[in-house]
Amino acid sequence: MQGRLTIKRLTKRFGGVAAADNVNLDFAPGSLTAIIGPNGAGKTTLFNLIAGRLKPDAGEVWLSGENVVGLPEVEIVRRGLSRAFQIASLFPQFTVEQALAAAVHARWRQSHSILRRFPLPSARARAREVLELVGLEAVAGQASQQLSHGDQKLLDIALALALEPRVLLLDEPTAGMGREARWQMIEKVHNLWSQQSLTLIFIEHDIDIVFQIAQSVRVLHYGKVLAEGSPREVRGNPAVIEAYLGATSASVPV
Amino acid sequence: MNLPALLDCVSSSSCVVTQVSTGLIIGMLLFLVASGLTLIFGVLGVINFTHGSFYMLGAYFSLTAYRVTGSYFDAVIAGALGVAVFGVVFERLFISPVYNSNVLMQLLVCYAFILILDDVVKIVWGTDFQTMGMPATFALPPIHLFGGFVPPFYVFLTGLTVAAAFSLSVLVNKTRFGKLVRAAAVNRQMLSCLGVNTSLLYAAVFGLGSLLAGAAGALAAPVRSMSPEMGFSILIESFIVTVIGGMGSIIGAFFAAVLVGIIRAFGSIGYPLFTDGLMFAFMALVLLVKPTGLFGRKLA
Amino acid sequence: MALSGCLVVIALALTLDNPQFADFVLRLSIFGLYALSLNLLVGYAGLVSFGHAMFFGFGAYAFGLLMQTGLVSIPLAFVVSIAGAAVLAVSVGALCIRLKDIYFGILTLAFQMLLHAVILSWVSLTGGDQGLQGGIPRPPFLGVDLGNPKQFFVLACVFFFGLVLLVRQMVESPFGYSLRMVRDNPERALALGLSVQRYKLAAFVISGTIAANAGVLMSLYVSGAYPNFAYWTLSGDGILMIMLGGMTVFLGPIAGAGIFLMLNGIITRTTEYSGLVMGIVLLCVVLGLRRGVLDFVFERCGPWAVRRLSREG
Ligand SMILES: Nc1ncnc2c1ncn2[C@@H]1O[C@H](COP(=O)(O)OP(=O)(O)OP(=O)(O)O)[C@@H](O)[C@H]1O
Ligand SMILES: [Mg+2]
Repeated sequence: MQGRLTIKRLTKRFGGVAAADNVNLDFAPGSLTAIIGPNGAGKTTLFNLIAGRLKPDAGEVWLSGENVVGLPEVEIVRRGLSRAFQIASLFPQFTVEQALAAAVHARWRQSHSILRRFPLPSARARAREVLELVGLEAVAGQASQQLSHGDQKLLDIALALALEPRVLLLDEPTAGMGREARWQMIEKVHNLWSQQSLTLIFIEHDIDIVFQIAQSVRVLHYGKVLAEGSPREVRGNPAVIEAYLGATSASVPV
Repeated sequence: MNLPALLDCVSSSSCVVTQVSTGLIIGMLLFLVASGLTLIFGVLGVINFTHGSFYMLGAYFSLTAYRVTGSYFDAVIAGALGVAVFGVVFERLFISPVYNSNVLMQLLVCYAFILILDDVVKIVWGTDFQTMGMPATFALPPIHLFGGFVPPFYVFLTGLTVAAAFSLSVLVNKTRFGKLVRAAAVNRQMLSCLGVNTSLLYAAVFGLGSLLAGAAGALAAPVRSMSPEMGFSILIESFIVTVIGGMGSIIGAFFAAVLVGIIRAFGSIGYPLFTDGLMFAFMALVLLVKPTGLFGRKLA
Repeated sequence: MALSGCLVVIALALTLDNPQFADFVLRLSIFGLYALSLNLLVGYAGLVSFGHAMFFGFGAYAFGLLMQTGLVSIPLAFVVSIAGAAVLAVSVGALCIRLKDIYFGILTLAFQMLLHAVILSWVSLTGGDQGLQGGIPRPPFLGVDLGNPKQFFVLACVFFFGLVLLVRQMVESPFGYSLRMVRDNPERALALGLSVQRYKLAAFVISGTIAANAGVLMSLYVSGAYPNFAYWTLSGDGILMIMLGGMTVFLGPIAGAGIFLMLNGIITRTTEYSGLVMGIVLLCVVLGLRRGVLDFVFERCGPWAVRRLSREG
């Protein structure tokens, strides 16, 4: 059960838009799954619903055998789910090392400690480990806001990793990168997944990347699950082809 | 607390008329100041804490004009326009440099000017209380109304303010200028991209807001004694009005101003020392129940 | 470093034996503490409060009233006033932190003015606009006699430096860094598992309690409490102090308090138009430097000075 994420009948509407429409999904422990779908399909909303940032109108989210709908966001984090954001979400003035150390403190429930100095030496050592894991050790002393775009995305992922999650959600880890950088990033993500025992779910627009590394794929379209299965199955699915190619010709299945 | 006095008053129609008309006057003056405050906040995103001082300047400008020309209407024009011009210069020179700084920077610039203007008034007009007296035009017998007496000037002031409120809402909601103002409130960059001179627009809005404060000062001159501290208290009250009505909402400011005016008028009988507290308590309540104020739009 | 500074000041004042200097040092410790506590909220937690004087005033009145009963010793009255301020801060803070940005500030202002109105109108207890009448007794305790100016001075300085060190420890602790995270990116802090609202409340309560300490010290020093201790002008002065000194340097607020007191002293002594001069100085700082004086100095002196001072301060 640890690390399993199961979503049942999840629904969320924004006015007339159904950003999640009766979504049923299951992610096995230790799996690597890609979520694809056109812009506005409801991918980020799905993550927000899972992480507890948004409250669903209906449905359940089972994390490691517990329904977490209605729990505050921090409680869900404490139950082993963490995430990185579509637009890297950082602490601009913190150095890379400080930011990671702070995340480690959070993981260890030391963030409120007043009697000791920041960072605790042990947290700093652990931060270094995570830095090496993602390959940011060279910029450890730089302010987060001065990092290159790619390094900012990496740091965002590193912050999530520092929480030692069982389930990790990455919202477009390759967003806004050139082709070369995308492949490097995705290789890193793949390595991280294979080294840790975690359930990794990532959103990705680049179909080539998805079909290269994901074990399985879920396709979202207008808040609905359009298709799921192995990359090969999904690639041949006529509905998916319709959604991706047909969307331009405005024949929209609602 | 003096409950018997309050009950006495409520049961006598002449006292009620007196208090309601007093409350309306307070409310009208408050509205004029607060509407400028709220307009400036709604469009420029700046809380102009000098607004109370503008009101004070309006009163003193009109006092001098009245003494020179002897005409109250000239005095009102002088107060309103004089402060409008001052406001535009103030905005261009001192506020525009801090548009992109944090709130505290803007606050300090305004605070500095509160201090400066108070002293300037002391230097020019002296520290003593000054009065304009009721202009001859309005020195008429009071009007008999619902068993009470209301000074004619009160009727004039209320009528003028309601007309001003009406024109203001037409200006903002129906004219091209109003369209630009509302657009600027939502997205300044976009408006610049469309070729609108937003600096000019900002200065105009600031000028309009100042004009309202100046007019309020001029209209207050016959019924209030003037002192260099008069800006402070009206600032606090109009600020409360702005918050209760919803920052950026002109209708909100109107209702809140009348409400606060009435609370003030009756509170001064029932709870003379606690009227300020009453207003702040009311404001806290509104903020907690509806942070954007009674008429405020939902913040993005 | 701080301790030695403390000793130097004490020694200086005792040897100089200059009442004016001692007065300045005492006011500096009171308002320095007050500004420092406000900066914990504004600078570190990013919560701009316009009502900080509420706690200063509460501390002063609570302590003064307790002492005037003649039933309690100074330490007991002190502890009870501070505990009362903490309770006040928890209840007011829990309401205020539900709002954001300027609305948070306005709500704090409303509560502060509410306290001010209570002080003004509850004449039988507080003396209304006259302030607490009859002085505040200072019975000796544990061999300390605060009636003796020298002893009072030493104790106040020790008290001041003790609290400054405490705040220093706090902002350099994991807790202090959590406050910065909550300030800079509350969404991310939440996603890392920090209960943002709890941190805000904690900052509010700690900051309010320290301001109450300053208030207690003030009431002891002037042997009274006055409504303007809880008036919005004092809240404004606090913001002025931290902006003058600088928000990003730990000692900035204290420097700001010093600058403010000196300016005020000089201006009121030399001109009758103190507001005019003060306003112009303020404009120069805000529009000229565009940051606090210490912020400015540190940026000019470069990272060397920053590192040095932040290591030692
Ligand atoms: N907070 C919100 N309020 C109103 N509508 C929202 C909100 N968040 C998302 N939406 C709407 O829900 C739909 C799904 O948005 P979402 O951000 O989940 O899409 P996405 O699949 O992540 O798209 P992208 O690939 O562009 O990131 C969109 O129509 C969006 O406009
Ligand atoms: Mg998205």
